[in-house]
Amino acid sequence: MIESLPGRGEDLVTRADVCVIGSGAGGAVAAAELAAAGRDVVVLEQGEHWTRRDFTQREDDMLPRLFEEAGMRQTVDGGITILQGRCVGGSTVHNLCYAFRTPPAILRMWREQHALPELTEAALAESFARVEANLRVKPIREDEVNTLNRLLRSGAEQLGYSGFVTRHNRENCVKAGYCLLGCSYDAKQSMLVTYVPRASEAGARVYANARAERIEAPASGPRRVLGHIVDGAGRSRGSIAVEARAIVLAAGAVGSPDLLLRSGLGGPEVGRHLHLHPSVMVAGYWPEPIHAYRGIPQSYYIDEFIDLERDPHSGYVLMPIAGFPVLVAVNTPGFGREHFRQMRDFSKLGGLLVLLHDRSEGSVRSGASLGKPEIRYALDAKDRGLLAEGMRHCAEVLFAAGAERVVVPFLLDPLVLERGADLGAIARREVREGTLPIASTHPQSTCRMGGDPASSVVNAFGELHGVPGVFVADMSVFPTSLGAPPQITTAALADRTAHHIIARGSELAG
Amino acid sequence: MPNDRPSRRSLLVPTPTRRGFLRLAGATAAFSALAQLQVTPAATAAAGAQAPGDRFFDDAETEILTQLMQCVVETGLPDAPRVRDTRAVATVDQVCRGLDPAISGLLPLALRLVEWSPLVFDLRFARFTQLAADEQDASLRSWTTSRFQLRRTAFLGLRNLCFLGWYSQPEVWSLIGYQGPLLPRAAGGRVPA
Repeated sequence: MIESLPGRGEDLVTRADVCVIGSGAGGAVAAAELAAAGRDVVVLEQGEHWTRRDFTQREDDMLPRLFEEAGMRQTVDGGITILQGRCVGGSTVHNLCYAFRTPPAILRMWREQHALPELTEAALAESFARVEANLRVKPIREDEVNTLNRLLRSGAEQLGYSGFVTRHNRENCVKAGYCLLGCSYDAKQSMLVTYVPRASEAGARVYANARAERIEAPASGPRRVLGHIVDGAGRSRGSIAVEARAIVLAAGAVGSPDLLLRSGLGGPEVGRHLHLHPSVMVAGYWPEPIHAYRGIPQSYYIDEFIDLERDPHSGYVLMPIAGFPVLVAVNTPGFGREHFRQMRDFSKLGGLLVLLHDRSEGSVRSGASLGKPEIRYALDAKDRGLLAEGMRHCAEVLFAAGAERVVVPFLLDPLVLERGADLGAIARREVREGTLPIASTHPQSTCRMGGDPASSVVNAFGELHGVPGVFVADMSVFPTSLGAPPQITTAALADRTAHHIIARGSELAG
Repeated sequence: MPNDRPSRRSLLVPTPTRRGFLRLAGATAAFSALAQLQVTPAATAAAGAQAPGDRFFDDAETEILTQLMQCVVETGLPDAPRVRDTRAVATVDQVCRGLDPAISGLLPLALRLVEWSPLVFDLRFARFTQLAADEQDASLRSWTTSRFQLRRTAFLGLRNLCFLGWYSQPEVWSLIGYQGPLLPRAAGGRVPA
């Protein structure tokens, strides 16, 4: 059962074994596994329930429907835009389906530096296998690699850079190219078409437009989640009270710490250590139209500039990226005629994204009721340098791939480079928040996992230190920046948390 | 013309006056908050208390937005559609109506500051909507080179809102070679579902 709460016309007051907050890569997996094991599960999702029939492939429709704050969520200084899902299925509805397991070097670092000896590849293997089967993860076929990715692979290979065609979670893809705006064909195996229906079929009650505002977790007795029924614009339309033996918080690395802070739970580490995987798109323009927005947007992955075995803390990857008119316009510097001179060549445009495995850390602080959390983040000097270096390598690959012009998107003073230009000019510019359209689709680590309660929020199974029965199951539990696309790691850790709750038996069930 | 927020009508000042200037000071403070996308609980509550109506922006704000957008998206092409001939401003209005009031609540004030910026920042006795096109362009450029980061950041926010409205219009797509959606045939599109 998936119900949009404003339609019921009354408050929601109910009980369950487990209340799951959020329905993205973490919450949907936890809900489905728990419901399949016979637990009575309630899922509260603050966003709306959209289906493929609602996915119009138009940015003016889909940005407000699918994204937190209509795609305009930002750090408090406006320097970094944070794209997070706000709908049933969460960010998996708009993500681009890279399907990576946790890098072994990262797992090793988590074990050794964060007192998490349990997090071995062997211990996670079952969860990875289950998640990948349910999401139908498979290699991307050669005939599914689109023009832009093919060109960029050619460029990287000419330069001798390491890269590969990745795995993804799509089935019968028609290569329309609108993954970012929701799949109109249900080919993308997002939580919306996999785990959420599985949870529902197993008896979970999934409520859309249900915003959790506070968790009560007394030392004994049931826990409670209190909140509001909200409409599409976030206005309160009623109240919610759910009593449960266990709570699984999966509201993302901004929403989860926000809720814990409102509730006075989790200790002083909640909301700290925010990592963002900050990214910047460098645009290349080819002599002829390449219509880079058609086909699977991202299939090739350049990992030449990240060596997690040597340095698990730092590095960056390069990922092809296209976009639709609004997103490209926003990422194109300037305004007026100079801006249109770039936009006129939209069909010839292909982008390469530099995505940082960031050492820099920020924080999330709680906002007022129904207000916005405060997100603070500043790149440190090393990360600013890496971002500049990454943009230079983007330009290098784009030229090698055949681009005749590259635009580095310094927003108010664009850097337009012609073939043969001095790429060192990029490093001579000031690289920081506010000068570039820096975006993040991977906020993480704000409720980090660790063996030491003094330096972490949750234990190896995602349970709050000192607050039994309250779990976190989303990207906020990553002890550090992941350094890779996070979908599969998030889902696998949530699967592990769910099976831990199941194994606890009657302690956490009615 | 429908206007669901009469309380903000009082902000309309036809010519620069001391009272208008004082109101502008308030708007500037609010604008600073907008630039950081930070909103006080009181502001959020006030914005949320406004009943959703037919339009988000009133007539004056709509005119400021229309002229601002024309300047931001100017193509220089003689045959290109004008902002007034499209639904670009209506699209922005519609998106703002659906936004969380914590985000949308201060946009009208931001537009008022654009309107008064020639006086406030450039010491010209004119409003933005009274300027010729090239003067409007110059006025907006002064935002991009401002030594105040808040002002530069706020301009980028308004710029992006204009792009959202303009580049969502199908009649604009042909100007840039965008072929448009590939929806399933069942949804009126071109691809067999």
